[in-house]
Amino acid sequence: MDPSGIFPTSYQADGRLIRTRWQALALVLFLALMLAAPYLVGARIIAVLNMMLISAVIAVGLQICTGYAGQINLGQAAFMGVGAYTASILASKTGLTFLLVIPLAGIAAAVFGFLFGLTAARIKGFYLALTTIAAQFIFHFAVLNLPSTWMGGSNGITVPPAELFGLRFVSETAQFYLSFAVAAIMIAGAFGIVRSRFGRAFVAVRDDDVAAGIMGINVAATKANAFLIGAFYAGVGGALWAYMIRFVGVDQFTLFHSIFFVAMIIVGGMGSIVGALIGVFVIRIIQEIIATVGPNIAESVPFVGGDIVFAGMNVILGGVIALFMILEPKGLMHRWNILKSSYRIWPFPY
Amino acid sequence: MSAAAETSAAPLAVRGATLKFGGVTALDDVSVTVNDGELLAIIGPNGAGKTSLLNVTAGFYRPQQGHVELSGKDVTGLRVDQIARSGLARTFQGTHLFAGQTVIENIMIGRHTLMNSNVVQAFFHFGPVMREEAEHRKAAEEIIDFLEIEAIRNKPVGTLGYGLRKRVDLGRALAQEPSILMMDEPMAGMNSEEKEDLARFILDVREARKIPVVLVEHDMSVVMDLADRVVVLDFGRVIAEGTPAEIQKNPAVIKAYLG
Repeated sequence: MDPSGIFPTSYQADGRLIRTRWQALALVLFLALMLAAPYLVGARIIAVLNMMLISAVIAVGLQICTGYAGQINLGQAAFMGVGAYTASILASKTGLTFLLVIPLAGIAAAVFGFLFGLTAARIKGFYLALTTIAAQFIFHFAVLNLPSTWMGGSNGITVPPAELFGLRFVSETAQFYLSFAVAAIMIAGAFGIVRSRFGRAFVAVRDDDVAAGIMGINVAATKANAFLIGAFYAGVGGALWAYMIRFVGVDQFTLFHSIFFVAMIIVGGMGSIVGALIGVFVIRIIQEIIATVGPNIAESVPFVGGDIVFAGMNVILGGVIALFMILEPKGLMHRWNILKSSYRIWPFPY
Repeated sequence: MSAAAETSAAPLAVRGATLKFGGVTALDDVSVTVNDGELLAIIGPNGAGKTSLLNVTAGFYRPQQGHVELSGKDVTGLRVDQIARSGLARTFQGTHLFAGQTVIENIMIGRHTLMNSNVVQAFFHFGPVMREEAEHRKAAEEIIDFLEIEAIRNKPVGTLGYGLRKRVDLGRALAQEPSILMMDEPMAGMNSEEKEDLARFILDVREARKIPVVLVEHDMSVVMDLADRVVVLDFGRVIAEGTPAEIQKNPAVIKAYLG
């Protein structure tokens, strides 16, 4: 962010994401730190980071669908599941390389998401939310009730590791690099989409669909496309998930998970890609802390009982999200933007 | 109808449009033709069907009878966005701006249909997409320049005053590079200074873009000063048509307004 008095001198410069040397430096440092992470921190942290990267891809997709295009989506975990199952089936039955499996998983999820996106042409708000919950349950029923030779039924599917030129992505570190590379591409792409004509069309449909129509934007198609893109991201994230866990089961993709993705974008800030990333970070950290602290409490105060501690931990997690909604309903990104704009105009009051 | 109005390639022709809401007839066999480069005003008492006529032409309502033609192309029954892509732009009574977005973003949304990049190109956002963005941004800046709203280009529209918002609304419509511009009561709720500003811009638009402008308006002084031709609606029917001077003397119009 340039200080007061410095203005871009070309339209290309005005559209740039990285505006100053410091921003470029910060980005390079961050990327370098991420690449070096496996040598700096232990395997447990790497596993957490890996989980964050996968969640980031999915949450960014949801941010495009819900945050930008304003289409409430409580089926993101189902879309992720479709991606994960597609990846598992392709990888275990056809032995395709992950370079093809990951995009194909994205496409499969995108098709599934698009079908639900079509309903968004006619219904909005709560009713749309309910319809996307249907996606969740259709997915669940389909996996459990179709012949178990197709999708493994309740047994799930074991996934062979990703392979490239004889290199097998088995270790935490190797999977981390795979997730990191894919997440980097997907997030960069998300920045591209939201500042293109599509991003503007999404925002137009979100803010005022009557006016969007008169601008020549096909409102129904734009809503369906928002679902398509959001679900594509979920599918890619699902494929990464399948390669990381190397086993997919239907209970990994429940409504509960979908709601967590929604919580991530709300905590981070709706309508901002960086906000989605921040939200992922915050929620995942809280989840990790709870997962670490919970067993300790259960051990040190045995008379409370493990069940109550774990239940209590989820209550705390829910409470944290509720607090965010009350105290920072526009998300952390909103606070950051206020800081940024006051820096931009300093020393003037406005 | 004048002889010129009968040519098939008129920028906009509404032919025998009838629109009923249940038992209420909002438009009754209305025919209006807009000629090249003219400023046509549509006036009438409250409930005369002015806005209904606009909504029928823009595709919000589908008339039970009759046709709407844009430059000779029948657009009756097409979706709103298809009609918009055929070259019709409109502004709304009140405003329908994207309030959270800045002025420049609002105007850029207007250029959506003029841009060609697909979603895969947008995803990778390399050369051609960035050039296209810059090119359209330039066009948007020209509109900002034209409407003298440079100082507020990065302000969210929701924070602006009503008069400026109206100007942004006009800018967004112009960004579509329409072949005809329709404005629904642009002067409503403005003070006389804002009215003068907007009137000047409307005349400038016609000069610069050489496109016909259709004005639905209540403010008689504005209509009489600006319009080349006036169509008067009452109870969904066209009761008079002519130059402002003729309309002022038309007994049917005086009767409709004074009862």
